[in-house]
Amino acid sequence: MLLKSLELKDFRQFKGVQKVEFSTDLEKNVTIFMGGNGSGKTTIAQAFTWCLYGNTDFNDKEVFCKATGAGLGANERDYVKVTVRLLHNDREYTIRREQAYKKDVNGIVKPASQTTLSISFKSEDGQTVFEKQTDIEGRIKEILPIELSHYFFFDGERIDKMSKDITKGKSPDFAEAVRNLLGLSAFIAAMDHLNGKGQRKSVIKSYNEEYDGSSDAELIRINNDIKMMESEILSIDERIDEIDIERENAREEINRLKEQIRANAEGEELEKEREQLLHSISNRNDRIKDIKSLLIQRFNREAPGFLSRKLIQDALLGLSESDNLDKGIPDIHAKTIEYLINRGHCICGTHIKDSNDAYKHLQDTLKYIPPQSVGSAINNFTNECENRMNNSDLFFDSFISQFKEIRTEENNNIEDEERIHQIDNILKGLKHVGKLQESLMRFEKLDRELEDQSKKLLMKKGEINSKLNRESSLRKEMALKDDNNRRIETYKAYALYMYNTLYEMYAKKENETREKLQRAVNTIFKTIYNGGLSLSIDEQYDIQITVMDYNGYSDKVETSTAQSISVILSFIAGIIKLAKESTANDNGDEFLTSEPYPLVMDAPLSAFDKTRIKTVCEVLPNIAEQIILFIKDTDGDIATSYMENKIGQKYVLDKHNELESYIVLEEV
Amino acid sequence: MFDKEYAFRGKHADMVTRLTTPFGRNNVKLFERVIDAYIMAPLVGFLYSKKADLDKSEGDKKIFLEQISKNEKTLWLTYRLIMLLDAKHAPDLEERIDKAFRHYGSDKAFTDESLFEEYVRGGIEVLHEKLIESSKKEEDYLENLFNFIDDINNRYSKEVDIDSIYDLCRTART
Repeated sequence: MLLKSLELKDFRQFKGVQKVEFSTDLEKNVTIFMGGNGSGKTTIAQAFTWCLYGNTDFNDKEVFCKATGAGLGANERDYVKVTVRLLHNDREYTIRREQAYKKDVNGIVKPASQTTLSISFKSEDGQTVFEKQTDIEGRIKEILPIELSHYFFFDGERIDKMSKDITKGKSPDFAEAVRNLLGLSAFIAAMDHLNGKGQRKSVIKSYNEEYDGSSDAELIRINNDIKMMESEILSIDERIDEIDIERENAREEINRLKEQIRANAEGEELEKEREQLLHSISNRNDRIKDIKSLLIQRFNREAPGFLSRKLIQDALLGLSESDNLDKGIPDIHAKTIEYLINRGHCICGTHIKDSNDAYKHLQDTLKYIPPQSVGSAINNFTNECENRMNNSDLFFDSFISQFKEIRTEENNNIEDEERIHQIDNILKGLKHVGKLQESLMRFEKLDRELEDQSKKLLMKKGEINSKLNRESSLRKEMALKDDNNRRIETYKAYALYMYNTLYEMYAKKENETREKLQRAVNTIFKTIYNGGLSLSIDEQYDIQITVMDYNGYSDKVETSTAQSISVILSFIAGIIKLAKESTANDNGDEFLTSEPYPLVMDAPLSAFDKTRIKTVCEVLPNIAEQIILFIKDTDGDIATSYMENKIGQKYVLDKHNELESYIVLEEV
Repeated sequence: MFDKEYAFRGKHADMVTRLTTPFGRNNVKLFERVIDAYIMAPLVGFLYSKKADLDKSEGDKKIFLEQISKNEKTLWLTYRLIMLLDAKHAPDLEERIDKAFRHYGSDKAFTDESLFEEYVRGGIEVLHEKLIESSKKEEDYLENLFNFIDDINNRYSKEVDIDSIYDLCRTART
């Protein structure tokens, strides 16, 4: 970076538009500003800071020219603007910052807006290109990081603070900025890209995010699940096979039982017949009982007649041969007649007395009635015989017929009983159909249960299979993920390898660069500050000042103000020198890129003794490509005399009053 | 005679008991009542010429007067038949007629009545022998009864002419 010009518009005491051109001549590379106290030396130096970073080190943060502000009417607006033109990476940039101010009704001037920054550059074809607002910050950082700005826009009045800063407690950003300045930015960017720290996404970080750490454990789990499900399916299949065999056996048994039951249907018929036979026998027995009863009754009632037949026949024959059959009055006994005679009157009422006709007639009747005559008795006897004979001729036939009936029925019973015996023998060989039916039902139930079991198992198998399919495809995915992981691992390994390689190279380069810087700084330091002191630069680019003892004994020492300034100057000059060398001697090291830098120094030369002023004035212009020096009037002559051949531009700051200063160009 | 209760004695009482005791699964009795045996017995005794003396040993089987009275005519008919036909007892017909029709129920009838009783007891013995003694089961009783009836039939049916009996009856009445 080389500064070309600075244009101020109402920036603090520099009222209106004032412009300075800086010397960019390679030989006469020094631009001097001279002025008394309060003339605006520091203000001009701060104008760069304000323009580039929007801030100043002033206590009063309002940068609008108070003189201009005083001239504003109520509600009138004006603005402050600083324009810096500079060369960076062979491109001319115009950097402009401005801020509006307004005077309120109370006459107080206040900012009316935020500051606005714009960066434009000339493209190769001469067109003006404005940086996008989003790129501006990065561009500024690239041109000159704020962390280093203090060293390049060097405020001598703050030596103490800077000295402390430079020896210890600098931010990590400082070291990085130094590294950038020293041309290590490409390394840093590459390393940052590969394995950057912080929130930003680096290559390795993004690989880590892509890497699915859980997939391995998940894959193991899925594999285990699949194994379990496969073995479950295997055992289900085995059980189904078993069930098939069991069902086959059950169905065989069912068929066998059905066959038996068919065969035994005949048995059922026989059972029926048997029942019928038993029923017939029972009926017959009842009948036999009835007939027997009738037979006995007949025997009791009619047998006497039957037995009497021969007797009656013989008796009647005998009587018929005798003369005893007569015509007596039936059932009239001699006692009846004797009773009537004794009574004196007949049944018909006729009076009976001795010798009357009735008496004589009755006496005569006695001859024909018992006991004198048996005729009537025989007559009665005959009638009774006849009665007894009644039906006696039928007795035998009836008796025989009934007896035969009994015998027939009994024979029928015997036949039936024989048949029953036969049936019993047949049925003995046959199982009871009911029992068979029971067994059949049992086996049919078993068959149904087995079928149910089989169906359930098949359903379960289906469920497991679909789960298995899901898990299998998941496993495929996992395997792919696994592949992905492997790929990522590979990529990550490459990235890490690249990072490590770069880091090694970077570390080496950085170390070399730091050593170079240390040497350069020491060389410069020794030139501008002679004494037994040396500087060392640690990894954080902190500078340690050590006393070089003749016996090789070294120790840290307290520094004086002059020492501090020397250290700072040496450090900055060293950096600038290194940067310049790196650019100038394009040594083919493609990893190192760098840029020349100016040294803008609000230098308190008065802090040095004359010898040192001379040294500083001689050394710095040879180291830095551009020197912009703000010096007091009192030091001006000394500086001018020491740098006479180097001064390209010279300005005097003319202080009109406390609120107004003007930059006046002087002839060199 | 036949005007008071009657009792079988001794072995005859036992026999009558057996003849009137139900047998077999159908509870069949050969004689429904003792009177039935009493009515049958003299006929059988006479037909089989079987008389038996009174057995005075223990046991009796009574027939009440009421039953005797109800069957009085039947019993007298049998009495008269026996009296008319037992030629051994009285070889002369006229005497037998007197026994049957004149002397019955009188003092003269004592031997006749004893004879009747002997036939009664003899008949009981025949019935017992033929129907009971050889019987072991129900079928045997019936078989024996059948054989007994058949035997009677075989013996007399050829000699008996029912028509001639009725003719004799008509002749006797005229």
